[in-house]
Amino acid sequence: MDQLNSADLPGAYQAAAGTGTTISVHAGFPNPAAERQGAPLSLDKLLIRHPSSTYFFRIRGHSWHDYGVFDGDLAIIDRALSPRGRDLVVWWEESGEFRLSPLDGADRAHVWGAITAIIHSYGAQNEARRK
Amino acid sequence: MPTVYALIDCNNFFVSCERLFRPELEGRPVVVLSSNDGCAVSRSQEAKDLGIPMGAPHFQYRQLFADQGVVACSANFELYGDISERITNLLASITPNIEVYSVDESFLDLGQLDLTDYTAWGRMVRHHILQQVGVPVSVGVAGSKTLAKAANDRAKKLPALGGVLDLSGSGEAADDYLAGMPVTDIWGVGRQLAPRLRAEGVHSALDLKRMNYHRAQQLMGIHGRHLVYELNGTACLPLARDHKPQVMISRGRQFGEDTRELYVIESAVAALAARAAASLRREHQLARQATVYLQTNRHKPGYQRTQQTVRFYTPTADTGRITGQLIEALMNETNLSRDWHRADVLLHDFVPEAGLQTDLLGTVDLPLDDRSRRKLQALDAINARHGKGTVKFAAENLSQAWQPRRRLVSPRYTSAWEELPEVHLLP
Repeated sequence: MDQLNSADLPGAYQAAAGTGTTISVHAGFPNPAAERQGAPLSLDKLLIRHPSSTYFFRIRGHSWHDYGVFDGDLAIIDRALSPRGRDLVVWWEESGEFRLSPLDGADRAHVWGAITAIIHSYGAQNEARRK
Repeated sequence: MPTVYALIDCNNFFVSCERLFRPELEGRPVVVLSSNDGCAVSRSQEAKDLGIPMGAPHFQYRQLFADQGVVACSANFELYGDISERITNLLASITPNIEVYSVDESFLDLGQLDLTDYTAWGRMVRHHILQQVGVPVSVGVAGSKTLAKAANDRAKKLPALGGVLDLSGSGEAADDYLAGMPVTDIWGVGRQLAPRLRAEGVHSALDLKRMNYHRAQQLMGIHGRHLVYELNGTACLPLARDHKPQVMISRGRQFGEDTRELYVIESAVAALAARAAASLRREHQLARQATVYLQTNRHKPGYQRTQQTVRFYTPTADTGRITGQLIEALMNETNLSRDWHRADVLLHDFVPEAGLQTDLLGTVDLPLDDRSRRKLQALDAINARHGKGTVKFAAENLSQAWQPRRRLVSPRYTSAWEELPEVHLLP
């Protein structure tokens, strides 16, 4: 990694420079999109189609490892969508406890919203959020 | 095309926000308590049916709550603010002609929308907000804001209407609904006007609608004339879309426990002044005066209230200057040896930052010197980025004892990664 003065970097890298985050900058092959002046890619835009109806839940439990869903993962729910069949939904029991299952296995009168994505992040940050 | 307004109003909004993440509270009596767990500020229908009035002090109703299984929540304003913003954004996507009247009420001007069936439209809006955001609203539609508000009131109180009432049609249809509505429930008829109206034989909203507008004006001024016009479906009050600059800014809190400790009082005043001054800077205003109030517990004997006002010869929005002068005035001028219950800081007598007037000699004494201004901008920016209170003036931290008790507060479900609602996988 080349040692650069942070002031030479684009904004996002400058912001990271002071935080101790490591960003590797590879010099050599030119970026073919360097001329493009479009907006930067946004995970928010990719994952959140309807901000007003999108909520986040934290997943608790270890029984879905086989499906790649882990304790502490982040579930994104969009209440504007109409789930069907095998679509994953959050629903609630009479006790108020929230459950995750395909719509087919849920209490249809108690569906809270449809899952659009489950995010699993690696590393210490995620570890800290697990109880 | 005639003007048509809709009022979209959330049903017991704070309670509905709590229920969104605690669905087991549906159908049960729930109240949300004001800061410091003082009194009921939002009540579910079930709680209203138990006879719990708005503003009911928690300590007086504790037994009833226990006996009837009433669930009490401390106010979670971060959550309510987030849900309110979602609703506003949804409504603003319908039409840009929107007036956000309060945290749970918005007026929409439907004139441009080319709608024919307002009831069907109202049902659609109600369904969308319930489905997508997750809280119930009522919709009132009419030719004026006052009548739209009355329609909303009826839609909320008469279950048969399904939460939507359109009174935009020709006058007569509205009369049955207005006949069943006490005149005091009309927007803009306060406690002061009610006795004067009663003396005139005006008891229901319909009586007021039918009142001679000359007489209404004699009795209540131009406001009275407008009330009568508005109830007849003629709009006098336009949509107030433009943000009006505030004329005063006030921040207040109860102490966690009554106190006479100087350092507790000082730190509370400093924190309140800091919040008020930050708000002032956002408005690009400067204050010429600030007042601090202290009061003892109203419910205990020997209730006492004291205040000190300071004047700034050059208007200011500087937290340090405001705090320093207020505390100095309190210490020098007031006998503090009482157990104080509540502190308030009020900033008033504003001038815009841009249009600062010179003094008599024509010199401008800059309210914030350049270094002070940059320091405050940095402080506001850091607090905006990392949460209120990240960076504070030293005096704010003397004591945390004044922080309100919020024992029953729910998590910040939508605004803190550590407090998200949890969904449990079955083993």
